[in-house]
Amino acid sequence: MGIITIATSKGGAGKTTIARLILGRLALQGLPVAAVDADFNHTLTDWVRAASKHPITVEHELDETRIVPLVESLHEAHDIVVIDTAGAATQATIFAIGCADLVLVPCQASSADIVEAIKTMNLIKSASLMMKRTVAARVVLTGYQPNTNISTHVEGEIAKANLPLMRARLNRLVAFQEMSFTGIVPTTGLAGVQCANFIDEIASLGGIPHASKLAS
Amino acid sequence: MGKKDLASVTTDLSALASMMPTQRPALAVAPTPRHVPAPRPAPIKAREEPAIQFSLSMRKELRKQLARLASEADMTMRAFVLNALKEKGLSVREDDLIDLRKERR
Repeated sequence: MGIITIATSKGGAGKTTIARLILGRLALQGLPVAAVDADFNHTLTDWVRAASKHPITVEHELDETRIVPLVESLHEAHDIVVIDTAGAATQATIFAIGCADLVLVPCQASSADIVEAIKTMNLIKSASLMMKRTVAARVVLTGYQPNTNISTHVEGEIAKANLPLMRARLNRLVAFQEMSFTGIVPTTGLAGVQCANFIDEIASLGGIPHASKLAS
Repeated sequence: MGKKDLASVTTDLSALASMMPTQRPALAVAPTPRHVPAPRPAPIKAREEPAIQFSLSMRKELRKQLARLASEADMTMRAFVLNALKEKGLSVREDDLIDLRKERR
């Protein structure tokens, strides 16, 4: 275990934010982590190289024929490999899903986010069928606004579509937005708590090998 | 850590991937993905709140002006007032106005 793909065909749903949280938090806790940035906007690569204060290896790769060997090679030297995909269903997305032990599908509170989350989960199911193994996948609610009519509605729609949902929520918090400038993954306050709960749940889903090694 | 064998991934998923667009610059315009319609989520329902009565008094001349301006805007006076208050920051929703507009003749 240890390959986590973040995918949804909707742009701006929070894929790169999730990638930053996982990579930054685990690097901070001493795990060797690497990222494959398969997004043509290379936002994650820029963040790691320009802003991040954490030891993270990152490779920007758009060529779908090179995604699988690159992930294989990075996984030899790192406990965790996170693959950040483009905000569209591309060939690279399919192979990134195929490599994954766990796929996270971020979803914000909008109709388009739910539609694309459903499409992405269907794509994961198709990939699972073709590979004859089940790829674990979960929807993650990002930009979450608790106690609002819209959040309740989105949760209801996700339940209606039978999409498996993570318990951890990532609220619309300034600390997550600041992270894109400061390069520092939040460890305190509500953002720190939400980030810790998120990582714990990924570990409980088997997405993080040697989870017991994590410093608290 | 240790080498993970992902050799079968490419083989198993090539057929599925071929239906998707590529990001490789030289091929980026080649395949067009098939449009598969996804189920539409239900539209969000506005919270149903009871309507309450609210009356205000004004000079007769102002009342006449209000009636004239609303008529010129093809709106009821009520919709016209709500619309004006919306511009002042009151959270008037579209459905507060939509059923109050005068039908066009």
